[in-house]
Amino acid sequence: MFGWNGKILRIDLTQGTSRVEDLPAYLMKYYVGGRGMGARILFDEIDPRIDALGPANKLIFATGPLTGSGAPAASRFIVSAKSPLSNCVASPCCGGYFGANLKYSGYDLLIFEGKSPEPVYVTILNDRVEIHPAGPLWGKVSSDTEKAIRNEMKTDYGLDNWGLNCMGIANIGPAGENLVRFASIMSDGGRAAGRSGLGAVMGSKNLKAVAALGTGQVSIADVEGFRKAVMGFYAEARDNGEFQKRRRYGTWGLPGRANSSKSQAAFNFKAGYSEAFVKYENPEVIRDLIRVRDEACFSCPFSCGKRSRIKDAEYPLTAKGPEHETMALLGANCGLGDMEDICRANYLCNELGMDTITAGTMISCAMELFEEGHLPEKDLGYALEFGNTNMFILLRQIAHRQGIGDLMAEGGIAFATKYGHPELFMGVKGMGIPAWHPQAFDALGLQYATCNTGGSHTKSTMPFYEGRKDPAHFVEFTKKDQDYIAAADSGVLCWIIYHGPLWGEKLSEWLTHVTGVARTKEDLDLLGERIWNLERLFNLRAGITGKSDALPPRITKEPRVKNRVVPLDTLLVDYYEWRGWDKNGVPTRKKLEELALEKEGEGVI
Amino acid sequence: MKIRIDHKICTGCKQCEIACSLGHTGSVNPWRSRIRVFVGEEFCLPVIAGPYTEAACNSKGIRIAEGVDVDACVICRASCPAKSVYKEPDTGIPLKCDFCGDPPNPQCVLWCAPNALTLVED
Repeated sequence: MFGWNGKILRIDLTQGTSRVEDLPAYLMKYYVGGRGMGARILFDEIDPRIDALGPANKLIFATGPLTGSGAPAASRFIVSAKSPLSNCVASPCCGGYFGANLKYSGYDLLIFEGKSPEPVYVTILNDRVEIHPAGPLWGKVSSDTEKAIRNEMKTDYGLDNWGLNCMGIANIGPAGENLVRFASIMSDGGRAAGRSGLGAVMGSKNLKAVAALGTGQVSIADVEGFRKAVMGFYAEARDNGEFQKRRRYGTWGLPGRANSSKSQAAFNFKAGYSEAFVKYENPEVIRDLIRVRDEACFSCPFSCGKRSRIKDAEYPLTAKGPEHETMALLGANCGLGDMEDICRANYLCNELGMDTITAGTMISCAMELFEEGHLPEKDLGYALEFGNTNMFILLRQIAHRQGIGDLMAEGGIAFATKYGHPELFMGVKGMGIPAWHPQAFDALGLQYATCNTGGSHTKSTMPFYEGRKDPAHFVEFTKKDQDYIAAADSGVLCWIIYHGPLWGEKLSEWLTHVTGVARTKEDLDLLGERIWNLERLFNLRAGITGKSDALPPRITKEPRVKNRVVPLDTLLVDYYEWRGWDKNGVPTRKKLEELALEKEGEGVI
Repeated sequence: MKIRIDHKICTGCKQCEIACSLGHTGSVNPWRSRIRVFVGEEFCLPVIAGPYTEAACNSKGIRIAEGVDVDACVICRASCPAKSVYKEPDTGIPLKCDFCGDPPNPQCVLWCAPNALTLVED
């Protein structure tokens, strides 16, 4: 078989057993891999109304036919489960070395079921799959967990330094163990399947970590054609200025760009600009301040990841990031301006295993509540106005559920409601909204509001790229980009590269060369739309209706940026029409017939 | 001709491993590659497989590179019984770089986007 391995590894944590199944052909044909397969399996195997933190939820690590194939920027894996934060279907994506190693181990999908009676971690070395007690690992931060597992594997598996170096590990920090609803799954010392709180799902299953090391292969259908296509792509990339910038600065070019165009999330979205960020408008400044080296994901020639260092003995020598979203949400949005402080906050979230975006909106919400006098100092034990570094204490309290952190770990809606002002939490479906201020571009507001997993920027693309700037087509682009990214996430290709600097329809080319099954751009659009609608049906069954396609009133009613508000209601009417959904945001029978999903729609439409 | 390695600009993406295994075996499997990248915190070290030695050496130890302690096995090019890399994973047959034929046209150099690997005259 080309591209896929054709195998599912299913681990029952309740029983402590594992088994290998064949990957059904219809999944490969209609859902390709990654996010598509994840969504389909969740739809088939779990009741959408279950408690996301109960044993009935399933945690799926999914790779695609391109993962580990050598197609540029195809290292990523998707984690699928029902989200404990938004209660929607969730499919965060993560880079690093884990995805490729899972693939080289001989599996396309890894599914965890049930709940282990005691903390465990799982190691996969090709067909040797073992479940080990995680006793002493429980409570450790993310990077210490990885170090400890590497040490164990050195002895147990007789691996030398080379072997250990190749391994990929996905794990949770204390936040995941303590079921913080926006805990993330961390990998390779600082990469994250971050949004939607799947770290808590992993914690609820008493699963501390999964380590994978594979010595197998991915077979390519058309080797010569594939090699030529990759070389052609490299040549194209060399002449592309956007790509050169992305390689040099990663996402560090964006905070300055957002700040200078007044589209930065700042001070709990009260502003689109932070004075303290003016100095970062030239990304060379950030590079000079903290960069150690460029750090690529496996198989990615673009190396947008950056390893950084700060001069503080309490923090480790080097760490990953921070990326733009983190700089904006934990930085400008919380009133921080010092890059070392932002690095500390980023480092804390990574080690504790929390989503930096939702954590940023939680902290900024607490800061505004404090400044407005709704959150008394006695509840916190310290002052917390914008820019106060006491937020580091608060981040730790959330991860360990201490003091007020226990309430905040339940998410923004519960927290802001307790203090009487739910409107001050800047989130969609309970998930904090990301770094670009929606009032800067209507389309962003629409994207955040309609995203199937909650307020996320990774399920559609930014409207400021070339060819995407015309407001008359914002709604159309939103729909098409959502579909495109659903398809890319099924490949699995990194949309940061393929939908950012290198705008291109490479997905069909890579898939055709690697799998030997020709797929046109139209096939992939249909694939994306099928996934999007299936996810929507899952959410509808879970009780998340069109009413949840909403933005915080600050975005739709208070003109904070560029003196504008997002006209979400009119945009939604237009959007539902483009989607072929009725006015309540429910897919119509006609649309579902087009997508061969009419049976899945029964009882909902 | 030789392959010049600039570890300071290597990003650890391992496309060289993919290119090598694809070129030599027609499938993608880094363990069948004649070049392997050791990914460190501060820098990455691509190492190309040299000749096979039948016994492990006795000069193992720690060397300092760029101010960081590095296991000497990691810098060494030899394929030897003490190392898991530069061997066919199934059979243990040792692997050695052949510069992808004559005249030299190493695939790893072609696939190295940051140009950490370059082909230079002796």
